[in-house]
Amino acid sequence: MAEPLLTVENLQTQFFTEEGVVRAVDGISFTVEEGELVGLVGESGAGKSVATSSIMRLVEEPGEVVGGTVKYRDQVIIDFEEGPDGERRPSDEMLSNKQMRDEIRGNEIAIIFQDPMEALNPVFTVGSQLKEFIEINRDVSGKEAKQIAIDMLREVGIPEPEERYDSYPHQFSGGMRQRVLIAMALSCEPSLIIADEPTTALDVTVEGQILDLVDELQDKYGTSFVWVTHDMGVVAEICDRVNVMYLGEIIEQAEVDDLFHDTKHPYTQALLKSMPRPDETVEELNPIKGVMPEAINPPPGCRFHTRCPDAREVCRRTRPVYQDVSGPEGYPHRVSCVKYESVGYEDSEPLDTEATAAFGGDIIEAQGESNE
Amino acid sequence: MSRLRYTIGRLLQAIPVLIGVVTITFLLTDAIPGDPVSIMLGPSPSAQQAAAIRAKFGLDQPLYVRYFNYLFDVIRLDLGESLYYSVPVTQKIMERLPITMLLMVSSFTFALVTAIPLGIISAKRRNKPADHISRVVALLGVSTPSFWIGLMLIIIFAFNLNVLPATSLVMPWADPSTVDGASNQIDVIITAIQHLILPTITLGTLQMAAFTRIERSSMLEVLGEEYVKLARAYGVSEGKILRKHAFRNAQLPLITIVGLQLTTALGGAVLTETVFNINGMGRLVITAIQNQDFLLVMGTTLMFGVVFVVGVIITDLSYAYVDPRVSFDGGD
Amino acid sequence: MAPDTSTPQNIDGSDGNAVDDPQEDEFEARVGLWYTVSQIKRDPTALAGLGIVAVMTAIALFAYIDGVFLDYWFAQTFWYHPNRDPAQAEILLPPYGLTNQIYPTEPGTLAHPLGTDDRGRDIAVRLFYGTRIAITVGIVSTGIALVLGTLVGAVAGYYGGWIDDALMRAAETLFAIPFLVLVIAFMAAFGRNLTYAMIGVGIATIPTFARLIRSRVLSVREEDYIEAARAAGVRDRNIILRHIVPNSFAPVLVQATLQVGINILIIAGLSFLGYGAQPPTASWGQMLSSSRQYLLPDPWFSIWPGLAILITVVGFNLVGDGLRDALDPRINN
Repeated sequence: MAEPLLTVENLQTQFFTEEGVVRAVDGISFTVEEGELVGLVGESGAGKSVATSSIMRLVEEPGEVVGGTVKYRDQVIIDFEEGPDGERRPSDEMLSNKQMRDEIRGNEIAIIFQDPMEALNPVFTVGSQLKEFIEINRDVSGKEAKQIAIDMLREVGIPEPEERYDSYPHQFSGGMRQRVLIAMALSCEPSLIIADEPTTALDVTVEGQILDLVDELQDKYGTSFVWVTHDMGVVAEICDRVNVMYLGEIIEQAEVDDLFHDTKHPYTQALLKSMPRPDETVEELNPIKGVMPEAINPPPGCRFHTRCPDAREVCRRTRPVYQDVSGPEGYPHRVSCVKYESVGYEDSEPLDTEATAAFGGDIIEAQGESNE
Repeated sequence: MSRLRYTIGRLLQAIPVLIGVVTITFLLTDAIPGDPVSIMLGPSPSAQQAAAIRAKFGLDQPLYVRYFNYLFDVIRLDLGESLYYSVPVTQKIMERLPITMLLMVSSFTFALVTAIPLGIISAKRRNKPADHISRVVALLGVSTPSFWIGLMLIIIFAFNLNVLPATSLVMPWADPSTVDGASNQIDVIITAIQHLILPTITLGTLQMAAFTRIERSSMLEVLGEEYVKLARAYGVSEGKILRKHAFRNAQLPLITIVGLQLTTALGGAVLTETVFNINGMGRLVITAIQNQDFLLVMGTTLMFGVVFVVGVIITDLSYAYVDPRVSFDGGD
Repeated sequence: MAPDTSTPQNIDGSDGNAVDDPQEDEFEARVGLWYTVSQIKRDPTALAGLGIVAVMTAIALFAYIDGVFLDYWFAQTFWYHPNRDPAQAEILLPPYGLTNQIYPTEPGTLAHPLGTDDRGRDIAVRLFYGTRIAITVGIVSTGIALVLGTLVGAVAGYYGGWIDDALMRAAETLFAIPFLVLVIAFMAAFGRNLTYAMIGVGIATIPTFARLIRSRVLSVREEDYIEAARAAGVRDRNIILRHIVPNSFAPVLVQATLQVGINILIIAGLSFLGYGAQPPTASWGQMLSSSRQYLLPDPWFSIWPGLAILITVVGFNLVGDGLRDALDPRINN
């Protein structure tokens, strides 16, 4: 297998708040291959967005990347080493902030934000914003940049792009603005686009159009994607490979078919049960019970055990190991659940959790929560 | 085209406000106890003289007749004659208005030129020493009585250091022969600037502090916006983000405040002019009230109203110029 | 047909809402206030402001009691001349202002830490008694503006239409005349003393509160529970007083705190121009006004009253800012 485009290893990002340290991203690892569309799935607050801004080194105060390695091809975005006094410090290989700006952001890794209504600057024309980013990230003249911008607007399905180039963002609908943001990302010709819940703020029909568009453009340009979402339906539709996040950790990772048909982790199973599936007929949808605990004080042992329908006593004590459970052939299928370890799960007593409680007093629909 | 229509519409909207200003001042000046005629003619005027004056100024008419007469006069741009100075009110205003305007323009310039960088630095270096300093300056600025700043400046710079003059203003366009120690226009301008410095700081400090606070908070808000994060994610440098992507948006709240502060500053000018013995509009209106020079009071207040209206319109227009979302045709 | 059957249901349902929601609201408001207090506790600058305000208010209260009931016992005991001649003590006191040669004008000494003024009166004592005027005028004038402004704003926002137009035009008119000029004209007409200064400043600041309340009302008016209350036949007056006004509590509290400081400044300015406390009453603005003649020989006349105003207003501003930060976590962090 060729060298991955993006390698994330044991990435840790923490927020130092008055209430205490929030371990928003707590040691996640994944890779993105050339031309691949990788999903990052989880409920709100799982740490998906923090993970993507960490990769771009755009975490804002009071947040800070405190550990792990991120490599883009042979460039080191994040790396730490031990200093002479045993303290952790950025290693010498790590790109400087200026290199990050000039060499990575925009021209190698571009980003599409969740809310297209907020992501465009209201006081500049759409065209001038596109043009500016193209000029920064590609070696072209102003005139060429404008032409690229117009071509790309046409490509993403903006009618009459020459006229719309001079329009202001408020003159576009939400779906059109998201197309503009996609055009913005693509026109810088990056090798990787991080899409942070780009369709969440849109209604379903527009979401469908955008997904089709991305599918089509991805085939055409061969750009890799990290697609952040909480919607398993979107994952099924466009992703090649999926990472499921829960409370700052990746708890399962597999190719998309594998994940859907040979689901290993109870959380992933619960996520799948909470959504309608075209390929299976179910009697009723089962929302995940309970709410995700605070990342400031995660539960001991397996972090999901408080809501897990299969939780046993051992889950509270044992930190599951993130391990490959696939057979010898095919792409690795990793999961962290004590069910797949020999730590005495079978003999352990079942736990009363929010999911197993017979009469769940206050059931909160997790999926509904994360949708707001 | 639509911009012109918008401006005209805004001017028309201002008419009731100006009528309101005239009405309020008319009623208030009428309620001032005492007899304006006796102030004009001295303690014991002859009955004949008094009657003549009353007839001349229409004081023998009932209130509502005088009110409507005055309104019609105003429409014909006739503000009447000052009881006390015996010159047309318009002439008195034209004599004093440039002085106050010079003071206002100079203190707003001072306020904006200091406040915008202070606010931006403060927002950019939030919770760092620079931010703390600028916040303390702004806090003291909005908490200090402006006239006391004036008094302190006079004590320090005029009396102790003896470097700047403490009284009156000199117009930079004044004839050199009328200015002490000036042989040419350059001298006049230098003298004018020297005279302006202390009053400008006195009047401008409050504006400066208010603007700094607005600039800081709006800059902080804008720096947290998604589009700023997007620019950062596309490799735009921090300097350019401040100068271009955040700057324009962050000025919107400031524009609103600048317009509103125009009248506040006119009120402040009363105090500043008193402290520095400047013969501007502020002192004019105060002495007019004291002398019951009712036509002069109404004329000057109306002028203040006009300044306010012009300020509001300029605010609206510049807001719309900066923010394309504001449509002149009303609603998107 | 359909409307006929649905209407009673609506009324039934909304009746329930109208009873439930306000309770919830009050509950939330209390939680909000409690939360605000807990935030303030962690904000050192707001605490400092609270300290200043508390000390100044305590001084003002004490000065009132002392002046009215104790015949200036405080000043007589602590601030008379080193000779300790009780017969001469009153010379140093406000509001009396006897010129005398025995107690000369002097800068700070042990007996008179802030010096004595042109009439030999102890400046510290006069500042002390001036506190009650500053605090009183600030709070009373803000109270007037608060009550009337809330009324005007609530009515304008709730009824809308021509009432709104007329009231807002009137507010704009008040804005169009410079504040000091308006109040001075008002005082010239009705009376040149502190009472009318407070009333005048109060009336002139009505627009500030009216606009604030109006904008809150406009946003609250469309809320479901207001609709429900209206559908249930709750009277307009009760809707305004029991639902809308409490909902605007937080921003009004912030504005009121800041306004006390602003009004102290304004009334000091009025006194400086001779429209406020009249001599020999000791008020800070009036002290500054009479100090103008002595800027060159005796600068300390004007330094201390200005500092007193500055410190007091800083206190109110710090509290106001702290409240705002606590109520608007977006800007806070």
